[in-house]
Amino acid sequence: MYTLAFALLLLAQIASIAAAGLALIQTWNHRTTGVVLVEKAHLVVSTAFGLASGILLYGLVQRDYSLEYVASYTDNALETFYRLAAFWAGQPGSLLFWALAVAISGSLFALTRSYAELPARTKLWYWIFFFAITGFFATLLALWSNPFMQIHPAPQDGRGLNPLLQNPGMIFHPPLLFLGYGGFTVPACVALAQGVCGREGRPWYQTTRVFFITAWCFLTAGILLGAWWAYMELGWGGYWGWDPVENASLIPWLIGTATLHTLIIEQGRGKLTRINILLISLTTISGFFATFLVRSGIIDSVHAFGQGPVGVPLLIFMAFALLATLLIVLFSERGQGSLENPFSREGALCLTAWIFLILGFIILCATMWPVISRLWSSAPMGLDADFYNRVCLPLATLLLVVMALCPWLSWKLGFKDKNGLVLALAGGLVLAGCAWYLSYEKLHPLVSQFAAGAILLGSLVLAARRLAHKTSFRLGTLGCHLGVALCAVGIAFSGPYKLTRDLVLEEGESAQIDAYEVRLKSAGTGRGVDYEYLRATLEIRDSSGTLVSTVSPEKRAYDKFAGMYFSEVDVASSFGKEVYASVSGLDSRGKIVVQVSIEPLVSWIWVGGIFMSLIPLLNLRSRGRTDQKSV
Amino acid sequence: MARTTKKNSCMYAFIALLFLGGVGYLIFSGLSENSTYFLDVAEAKVQEQSKLGNIRLFGTVQSGTIVPPSEGLGVSFNLEDQHDKTQTMHVRYTGIVPDTFKDGAEVIVEGGVQPDGTFSAKVLMTKCPSKYQKENRTS
Repeated sequence: MYTLAFALLLLAQIASIAAAGLALIQTWNHRTTGVVLVEKAHLVVSTAFGLASGILLYGLVQRDYSLEYVASYTDNALETFYRLAAFWAGQPGSLLFWALAVAISGSLFALTRSYAELPARTKLWYWIFFFAITGFFATLLALWSNPFMQIHPAPQDGRGLNPLLQNPGMIFHPPLLFLGYGGFTVPACVALAQGVCGREGRPWYQTTRVFFITAWCFLTAGILLGAWWAYMELGWGGYWGWDPVENASLIPWLIGTATLHTLIIEQGRGKLTRINILLISLTTISGFFATFLVRSGIIDSVHAFGQGPVGVPLLIFMAFALLATLLIVLFSERGQGSLENPFSREGALCLTAWIFLILGFIILCATMWPVISRLWSSAPMGLDADFYNRVCLPLATLLLVVMALCPWLSWKLGFKDKNGLVLALAGGLVLAGCAWYLSYEKLHPLVSQFAAGAILLGSLVLAARRLAHKTSFRLGTLGCHLGVALCAVGIAFSGPYKLTRDLVLEEGESAQIDAYEVRLKSAGTGRGVDYEYLRATLEIRDSSGTLVSTVSPEKRAYDKFAGMYFSEVDVASSFGKEVYASVSGLDSRGKIVVQVSIEPLVSWIWVGGIFMSLIPLLNLRSRGRTDQKSV
Repeated sequence: MARTTKKNSCMYAFIALLFLGGVGYLIFSGLSENSTYFLDVAEAKVQEQSKLGNIRLFGTVQSGTIVPPSEGLGVSFNLEDQHDKTQTMHVRYTGIVPDTFKDGAEVIVEGGVQPDGTFSAKVLMTKCPSKYQKENRTS
């Protein structure tokens, strides 16, 4: 059966290459007769990837340890839904899932009316780019990262899924990221095809808007869920550590978000046509780059990933894709007219895109710094989290300020809606004033809170007007910006005002952190299903002595993972100050060591994240054609 | 029309310069204060002292050299080079010791080399056996 699965991968590879080749020959000969045949190939590719995935899932569920992948990532004790989630626990499986996401989004697009309306030559070029990508995936899977390797004889039990991955986060975080990366493929391929053929009919961002917006939402949700997972379960002491692995997923998001904003200018004004083709293509390529970064072993991360042989093929593929994109953009049609005065909504949107892109570029370079610095330094140099915070946070604050002002600017020059602006700024002042009053006085977070307050109130005002049909802003956009503002408030408080203390306690002993008293009620060892644990039960009391919460973090040693310990943190959740506790272990005299931190307003990030990932879906429905000019 | 276009381009160029200048300053200050050398023990031993103020050192824990402090949290041990076992450096660390820290563990320490040649570590990390793929697949 696994030979069949491998054959399916080869079939996907051959079908992709053959279809792309046929389409290329047709365009070369200025013919379009082959479109029907080329179109059929996507069904073959999707079916092949789909069946191969099905076989892998079957192997996982059936505990067929003759499959190396199953033996590596599952064992008999694993629950069924984690067995299914083990599909993306390792590199070959996650690549297969990504390929499947790409293939299916391509097939779905082929079913739409938007696709049917494309001119035949554009279709051919679209399929050339699309099949180049699926062909690359199939080659990668067949040659360098085959999920269907077998072991003889089959072991009785597998090695088990890393306990860190046995968490609901594992079920959603990786697939959302891959759906995000994969979802940008269709818009990028149509954009490139229109770059080659010229624009006949509707532009790519309208024909593929559903794919673009959905992919963006998936990626946003994936990144935020990753942050939540790191914070709540992995016990790494924070939601964002600027680790290469985290940065890798942020880069496509930043470029994709920049694209969303420059597209507003193109949609309303017909400008920046070529820039947008470049940006959407870069978004897709950066998804591959993210994989390259975490899979090639080029960067030494604390969370070392297995070094796979996929680094070089990915690098070559990205180089080709980049070259093709640049050539197409260079020779494609220019947009109409130049930009308006910078002090206009157009200018603000441009600045927004610049900030997103420069953030992406800085994070890219900083992550690659150990490699880049080799050019002039004898030993590689690295940059720590402080570097990112120092450079990226001011830029993010500037972004918030632009975001607060932008809706009130006119398209041509100056502020259009002064009342709205004043109201929004008043909202900002109130929020920043409250923070100041509660003695959160650091300047930089205050500016962020001011901007976030202005966005919050401004979005609400605009949403109310939208419901009364008095503005052309869409609810999806406003809701998303509201989410950004909530996240910004969460970050501006929880980042600079987080308090962490290591406490060494005996039973009954207590210690003070912030305005809270932490008392160790009890500590002891015990046994769970397949692990031993050391648990500390802590009582948290506020300054008046009332019990706020009891938390019981654990330190676990799983039977299958000898010599490794896993932290199970416990959080007293709150929309205000959250108490976060983890057990570090025992000190030399047998006292228990716990790390307790006070994290103000962290929950706001998760609420904002839900807004950002779900509400933009309201924008999926395209506007009526009469409405289209007003953006 | 042509004049406003040109004026606009100039303004964009000016704003871009201002923007890039600010970003450039941020990056420059970040690079000068927040960059650390990544070194192996053997490499660190031949570097000049001026470059060793803030470095990240890779190595393995020499067996039998782990000593807990007389009081408080922390540990001191000898870090040996991953390739050349004869090259070692004494490390002192104050703070929470990770669970996976033990004889022979691959560790990363951040801090500076003191004039007496010992390494004073602010950060001690053990390299976690990869998150997604296990090392030593054959064992």
